[in-house]
Amino acid sequence: MNVLEVRDLATHFFTRDGVVRAVDGVSFDLAVGETLGIVGESGCGKSVTALSILRLIAPETGRIVAGSVRFDGRELTALSDEEMRAIRGHKISMIFQEPMTSLNPVLTIGTQIAENVVRHWRLPWRAALDRAHEMLDLVKLSDPRRRLDEYPHQLSGGMRQRVMIAIALSCNPRVLIADEPTTALDVTIQAQILDLMLELKEKLGTAIIMITHDLGVVAETTQRVIVMYAGRKVEEAPIGALFARPMHPYTRGLMRAIPQLDAEAELSGRRSRLHEIPGIVPALTQPIAGCAFAPRCDFATSRCPVERPPFAELEAGHAAACWEARRVLEAAA
Amino acid sequence: MSAPASLEVAGLVKHFPVRGGWLRGEKPVVRAVDGVSFAIRRGETLGLVGESGCGKSTVSRVALKLIEPTAGTIRLGGVDVTHLGPAAMWPHRQRIQIVFQDPYSSLNPRLTAGTIVGEPFENFGIAAGTEKDERVARLFERVGLRPESMRKYPHEFSGGQRQRLGIAKALALDPQVIVADEPVSALDVSVRAQVLNLMIDLQDELELSYLFVSHDLAVMRHVSHRIAVMYLGRIVELTETRTLFSMPLHPYTDALLSAAPVPDPARKRARRAIVQGEVPSALRPPAGCHFHPRCPYVLPACKVTDPPLIEVASGHHVACLRRPAGSDPVPLTPTQ
Repeated sequence: MNVLEVRDLATHFFTRDGVVRAVDGVSFDLAVGETLGIVGESGCGKSVTALSILRLIAPETGRIVAGSVRFDGRELTALSDEEMRAIRGHKISMIFQEPMTSLNPVLTIGTQIAENVVRHWRLPWRAALDRAHEMLDLVKLSDPRRRLDEYPHQLSGGMRQRVMIAIALSCNPRVLIADEPTTALDVTIQAQILDLMLELKEKLGTAIIMITHDLGVVAETTQRVIVMYAGRKVEEAPIGALFARPMHPYTRGLMRAIPQLDAEAELSGRRSRLHEIPGIVPALTQPIAGCAFAPRCDFATSRCPVERPPFAELEAGHAAACWEARRVLEAAA
Repeated sequence: MSAPASLEVAGLVKHFPVRGGWLRGEKPVVRAVDGVSFAIRRGETLGLVGESGCGKSTVSRVALKLIEPTAGTIRLGGVDVTHLGPAAMWPHRQRIQIVFQDPYSSLNPRLTAGTIVGEPFENFGIAAGTEKDERVARLFERVGLRPESMRKYPHEFSGGQRQRLGIAKALALDPQVIVADEPVSALDVSVRAQVLNLMIDLQDELELSYLFVSHDLAVMRHVSHRIAVMYLGRIVELTETRTLFSMPLHPYTDALLSAAPVPDPARKRARRAIVQGEVPSALRPPAGCHFHPRCPYVLPACKVTDPPLIEVASGHHVACLRRPAGSDPVPLTPTQ
């Protein structure tokens, strides 16, 4: 069963330089209790996709121009602002990269969690504070009773992210969107937070959308992955298949560009060269007729820059938007 | 006697005073760097890895003499430059250059790319006019930029190209040592590979020595010949890259390596966070071994004794009381 269904979502920003097609027709499903990864590099549209689901695009800069977002059968794009506010932080929650900028510096931790509980569950303040205490316990913050009365600046980065998770999960949401939740954290703290998120997911059955640029984080936390490039979904696959048999040349390029354990080179004491993806991402202000990756692609043929490739499933649950996907698969074998 | 190290620091200490504490008459200090020693050979990359606040960036800035050390010595190509004033330091500045993390904020937006890269030639009175332009053009080609783009401004370049500009400028004076402080951390994966390959090519060709500062273990493993792991101002382990990854001896190194997410779903681990808690403040570092409050293998002695960095096997230096010289590199038994 799907808790979230996104169809042909398009979000544009209107700038002095023209229309930026940040999300350019993206579709995907999120099953109940599933962890879905969205990967891609800066500007690929992964964060804007998340903000669009929650309708958090500032109207003076951009808007959803097409597509549908269905949550539990309800069309989110058609809801009033008031109806949408009842869903945010309640049924669908989000945590961001930098917890310091998402927490209110002048309110105590306890107030910030209780606020959300009072708003959505209409509990009395005392009961909401009890819930806040329970949540801090759940996210394993040491000495939760004392933390309730502390302010964000008194906590470390890792502790703040635990508080963000406590707020996000305080009303038992069905979907948690995590946008680079550990990117600002040190690696030992990152491991603690990722462990915590996975543990809570098991415990509470919340579906998670994990947005990240880090292929390591995706590999360790998700079951299924969407790869985005220039505002479009270019590949979708179960996590194992994505790494074992990338079908889109961009995914393949990304995999080969990350430093790997190269046992032979290391033994001989020589450093191997990393695979480079030549060129840079295209500007999103110009309409792209064919495949957006064509100018950087080793597999491109003459049709690629002119004809947009359809999203085609070549294996069960594994699909890519590439005319040459079969050749890419063969190259991986 | 072999050739002197390109860069050698010994017993480096840097304390930053902080406000407050005057009532008791003692000035509190942040012990950013607390006794760090290493030497980098010609053509070698020494990686300096650690989490935020471990002092790795401070070490790089002290090595460049951008800030003065509280104690310790800095030698460039065998010459002690620790106490040289700005004027006396001037000729030695050419030997050591820096590449910054953020290519957006380290390039003057009002100057053309050619002017930026050519600045060192003028500053050091090496070349001017046409000769300077020719040398700048050669540098552009060397780092994979088109010489025509000399007339462009920084904002007209992509992130990866800007980092190439930073590298070109660092190379202008033909240095022996380049300090690279998180040079690819701000770049996307696909572009990062381009810049790392360029840095490796330049090193092989020009026999440059790199002090490569990063928090990214995968990048570190790729570029470094040797790696020093820092924790709260001290080096806790220093050895050849492959030894560090195959046989980490310090519990903190072990924790760091197992915490890093591995881009391979087949090797997904059940529990990655083997250390709990967070890095303590450098204002009041724990007594004894700085890592002891988080260490699963702690002994009573660890809480009082500073473990010295000793060579436990050839070229493998570890600061851990549980790893005495000549001990077998067997896994430790947790004590808590």
